[in-house]
Amino acid sequence: MADTPIPLEVRDITKRFGDNEVLKGLSLTAHKGDVITLIGASGSGKSTFLRCMNLLEQPNEGELIVHGENIAFKATRHGREPADWKQVERIRAKLSMVFQSFNLWAHMTLLENVIEAPIHVLGKSRKAATEHARELLDRVGLLDHADYYPAQMSGGQQQRGAIARALAMDPEVMLFDEPTSALDPELVGDVLKVMRDLAKEGRTMIVVTHEMSFARDVSSQVIYLHQGMVEEAGPPEEVLGNPQSERLQQFLAPKH
Amino acid sequence: MIDLQGYGPRLLEGALVTVEVAVLSLLLALVLGLLTASAKLSRHRLLHRIATLYTTLIRGVPDLVLMLLLFFGGQMGVNAITDWLYYQFDVDIFININEFVAGVVTIGFIFGAYMGETFRGAFLAVDSGQLEAGRAYGMSSRLIFRRIQFPQMMRHALPGLGNNWMVLLKTTALVSVIGLSDMVRIAAEATKATHEPFLFMIPVAVIYLLIASVSEWGVARLQKRYNVGFGEADEWNN
Repeated sequence: MADTPIPLEVRDITKRFGDNEVLKGLSLTAHKGDVITLIGASGSGKSTFLRCMNLLEQPNEGELIVHGENIAFKATRHGREPADWKQVERIRAKLSMVFQSFNLWAHMTLLENVIEAPIHVLGKSRKAATEHARELLDRVGLLDHADYYPAQMSGGQQQRGAIARALAMDPEVMLFDEPTSALDPELVGDVLKVMRDLAKEGRTMIVVTHEMSFARDVSSQVIYLHQGMVEEAGPPEEVLGNPQSERLQQFLAPKH
Repeated sequence: MIDLQGYGPRLLEGALVTVEVAVLSLLLALVLGLLTASAKLSRHRLLHRIATLYTTLIRGVPDLVLMLLLFFGGQMGVNAITDWLYYQFDVDIFININEFVAGVVTIGFIFGAYMGETFRGAFLAVDSGQLEAGRAYGMSSRLIFRRIQFPQMMRHALPGLGNNWMVLLKTTALVSVIGLSDMVRIAAEATKATHEPFLFMIPVAVIYLLIASVSEWGVARLQKRYNVGFGEADEWNN
């Protein structure tokens, strides 16, 4: 165990927007191959928690340890900030994120999107990056769309493309921020299938989602957040199969 | 063929001066514009204030007044500095602000303020998710600027930049006032000598039009390039 560092450890994260405390001391440990789903009503802080993990939001307190590397913070006039942005950039490259609104770069073709960060951040050669990208596009079923621009693709295609872009970084952990919430219902299935395949091959994933079937079937751990705190956490059969708190029971109850 | 009474070659030289002043001012204006926009968009209060002062000043004072101020006042300022260097450190240098430099600096300075506003609006029009994706993939802010922010911003900026460039081109005619031999000044001299205003002013107008047309073509090409990926979906699919 000691020789393989834990991909991601988060300890006692708090986050305030002004006087509003949205995260009240959240912790999480993602071991290799874990699929952790974060569920909760909107406003529960699940997306903010995920965005603290790659420092798109700056947590006010708490620790982040990525692959054994502890992120250094310093106090400034505006609050706590990372001490070394180079370190943050290095760590973000290990935690690729898939966004709710895809955020593929609109002025680049799909292939260009996938090779962009491997070339300019990881320093890969264009040839190696392109070869890898074509394999990944094939895997998500979009090899024939390599030269399309994002605006020419459906939402589901864009999201699968965004997953290929994330995979191209060979990430330690993949962060998914409500990846199917912006999709038409008939397009959700294709994206979830790609994510299920990733889970099966042992990718470490943290997924913010409303898809309870995905949480139930795929995750190793489910965390239910309520108002910035963990209300229940554990294996899906416990948390989803036998919810203890009334709130979670209500949350899971079929909506009419 | 029209007989330009021997002024033909000088008129062409003047046209070259016009183009030189315009292009160099444009480069200066673009750099100043990008800096101004960045300053206005930054969290840094002092930078923000300096940029606001700059644009307010430029937009509120006539171009000609600024040019005369810089040409005459600038020389006095430079002289004061070189004199001081001489008395203090025994360094003997002489810097002459010539008409060309004064013209380029003034026009660049004026249009830097306008470009700044154009760039600022264009930067704000870029979807923040596009930049966030860059950050999430470990890009530095410089890399994000070069690979994502700048190319996407240009799409929004180009119509305004093209417009500013046309106005800038015509503003170069002002440099004749401080004695630079651009084509307007040469045509004016020729008119005085020959009393044939149309003979010289019409070619001048035609040359300006010609430069403007070439520019419009260039801007249209740039616009096409920076619009890649943003057009209507049907445009590609058929």
